[in-house]
Amino acid sequence: MKDMKQLQFFTFVVLMVSVTHLSAQAQIDRKRASTSSPVAEVFLTPSVVTMSSVTNLPRHNMNVTIMHTFGLVSDGVSELFGLDAPANIRFGFDYGITDRLSVGVGRSRYDKLFDFRTKANVLRQTRDDRIPVEIAVKADVGIMTLKNGFDLTDRLSFLTAVLLARKFTESVSVQITPMFSHFNSVFVIPDGQDDVIREENDHFAVGLALRIGLGQRVALLAEYIPVVGKRSDGTRDELAVALNMETGGHVFQLFVKTSQWLTEQHVIARNSEQFLSGDFRFGFNVNRFFGLDRQ
Amino acid sequence: MNSYRSHLLLVLAGFLLCHHAPAECAAQAYITGNGLAEFTSSVPLYTFTGTSEKLTGRIDLSDSTVDFYLDLETLETGIGKRDKDMRITLETEQYPFAEFYGKFVTPFDANSEVPQSVMVEGAFTIHGAKKQITVDGTLQNVEGGIRLDAEWTLNLTDYDIKPPRLLVIKVDEVQKIRISALLQPEEDDAANPREE
Repeated sequence: MKDMKQLQFFTFVVLMVSVTHLSAQAQIDRKRASTSSPVAEVFLTPSVVTMSSVTNLPRHNMNVTIMHTFGLVSDGVSELFGLDAPANIRFGFDYGITDRLSVGVGRSRYDKLFDFRTKANVLRQTRDDRIPVEIAVKADVGIMTLKNGFDLTDRLSFLTAVLLARKFTESVSVQITPMFSHFNSVFVIPDGQDDVIREENDHFAVGLALRIGLGQRVALLAEYIPVVGKRSDGTRDELAVALNMETGGHVFQLFVKTSQWLTEQHVIARNSEQFLSGDFRFGFNVNRFFGLDRQ
Repeated sequence: MNSYRSHLLLVLAGFLLCHHAPAECAAQAYITGNGLAEFTSSVPLYTFTGTSEKLTGRIDLSDSTVDFYLDLETLETGIGKRDKDMRITLETEQYPFAEFYGKFVTPFDANSEVPQSVMVEGAFTIHGAKKQITVDGTLQNVEGGIRLDAEWTLNLTDYDIKPPRLLVIKVDEVQKIRISALLQPEEDDAANPREE
């Protein structure tokens, strides 16, 4: 009789285990498609403010950019803090050929400058940190189109840069960008005091950028581009602070920055303002993203 | 009594062995890991779709169960910024999957090669909210497995999803969902997603 009870108990346990097992097997295990995919948007836009960010455009996406800088805030209320001054404006179009390679063209009012650029992501930071940093390379060629009788080669300026960045958390990203600029033609200008202002052909700078998220669609940005080594007389390091606001396919950037130039080689070689002396200006960028392969 | 006990133990042992070798005992199961899932969203004068080819699922004809899930971060709408908005709206970090688990309520003749209308009832879960739904679809016995096509509509507010806005325009809270997949016999697929 005792054996019979043991058998009944054993049978009950086996059946319970079996039923539980069946129930557990009824659904397939849920697995994430990939944990080694790239992190999303180290920076919200392909440019921090003026300096390029490691963020590239997705394949077949286009970014239409309007960049705008006003006069110096220190010009005072009579100039409405720089808003009355002539503005520099750049219209730009960038296109993602692949998720890692983009090309772009822009046109700035100053120097009637056309610039052609490309950016390639060599490494993408992954979510599982298998690759802890994002690395991109960038090249830009500027062509001044002012009617001044220059040959084509004298109109050219160049920039090459290596962009290294890491998204530390959803809210904090940092970027370091060694960059080299070259102008085919430079000037020696009398300064009116029996001396001259001498421009250099080459500049080397190390750009630094920081993004601090203030929410899922708002971020605070800072960009600082100190020149290292020899530099043109009277030039200063660029500093910019911006507020990024994202609304669907748009990213608006409101900023204060020192240089009125909107391409990196010019910001490095031609900025003569100093932020901490109060010489900065308002500006804004509007980025509109389009998908061109389908709607 | 000893003979009875031995016999019963043998049956139970066989039963257990069978459970631990489900592929052999569930020859009528079909799976996929690369089905198509698509949603269509509308705002006034504008429609866009999001697609993924990572729909994972299993249909077991022996017990009529249907089990599908999708990693929502694999959905792409063609614009990176919009994808990011979609993930924020769906809170995919917290709720990464859309899931359906249910049963056929209409019969399916596995020996026929004609497309057959089927109806499935079950629980659809997204954004952490679960709702019982009925889905109409088509199942067809084809070379290499069975093909499933189904469509239904999903009301975002039923799943505590706040319809996003494109600037000031609100996205329609009713989304059209479509799935399409070729499911292969489970034992023939080396990439069996089912864990034993």
